[in-house]
Amino acid sequence: MTAQMFFIGFFGLAGVWFGIVVFRTYSMVRSALALLFSQTALGAMFLSMEAEFLGVLQIMMMATEMSIMAIFMVMFMMDPGGLGTMDMTHQKRLSLITGFVSFVAAVLVAVFVDWGPVATSFPDAAQQTVDLGLELLNRSMLIFEMAGVTILTSMIAATAVAIQPVKRKQKQ
Amino acid sequence: MSPELIIALVSGAALFGVGIYGALSQTNLVMIMMGVELILAGAMVNMVAFWRYLHPDNPAGQMFVLIIMTVMAIEMAVGFGVAIARFRAKGSVEMEEATELKG
Repeated sequence: MTAQMFFIGFFGLAGVWFGIVVFRTYSMVRSALALLFSQTALGAMFLSMEAEFLGVLQIMMMATEMSIMAIFMVMFMMDPGGLGTMDMTHQKRLSLITGFVSFVAAVLVAVFVDWGPVATSFPDAAQQTVDLGLELLNRSMLIFEMAGVTILTSMIAATAVAIQPVKRKQKQ
Repeated sequence: MSPELIIALVSGAALFGVGIYGALSQTNLVMIMMGVELILAGAMVNMVAFWRYLHPDNPAGQMFVLIIMTVMAIEMAVGFGVAIARFRAKGSVEMEEATELKG
């Protein structure tokens, strides 16, 4: 077993375990923190796969995103501390079966499909960033611009939905 | 086939399964969003693994990961916007109470 294989397996396992913890704890703040740890473990997994740029981006982005999510959890949940052990689930059996079947189907595809030859050479971190930058500014520029505009549109739409509607006085 | 690729794909499959369970079983909108985040995280792990072990010379694989991250950010922004609007209107983001959305 190589060191890379060990670390990919370790961080993959950590990501899945914290993903399970998200739905096992009664405390919603702990749920948000578990999701933060899960996403950070995936970022570490990317770093283990030598995808430096994506790994660092994942850790930075998810740390911010999950911190915001934790604040929303405290705002919106009836029992954010989880002291009342209130069960907030439904159709548990159906969900478990569907989740398990999805997992098994995806594993079967992963194991039994012939993915072709594994790459022997791999660009270093600096070259990866250069390649991605050139990709963003050449062939994928339109997609990248579309992604930016879509984020901007969704931010404006989300703000418009969230702001309190102004009550206008009706003219007599 | 590379064992590292298989480990990464199985991890992605497990995240996908856990996310499906969470999205279907939770009654709170924010918790459902957490399930969707895990589903997208599973897809992202697969993308990185495919790019790293099968086509590292093609940066389009990294581009797909950036697109998935964009989808995650958009899902969060729109989801929280809807959650705030719902909380303001009804005082709760419990989806079992949102029976008026039933088709």
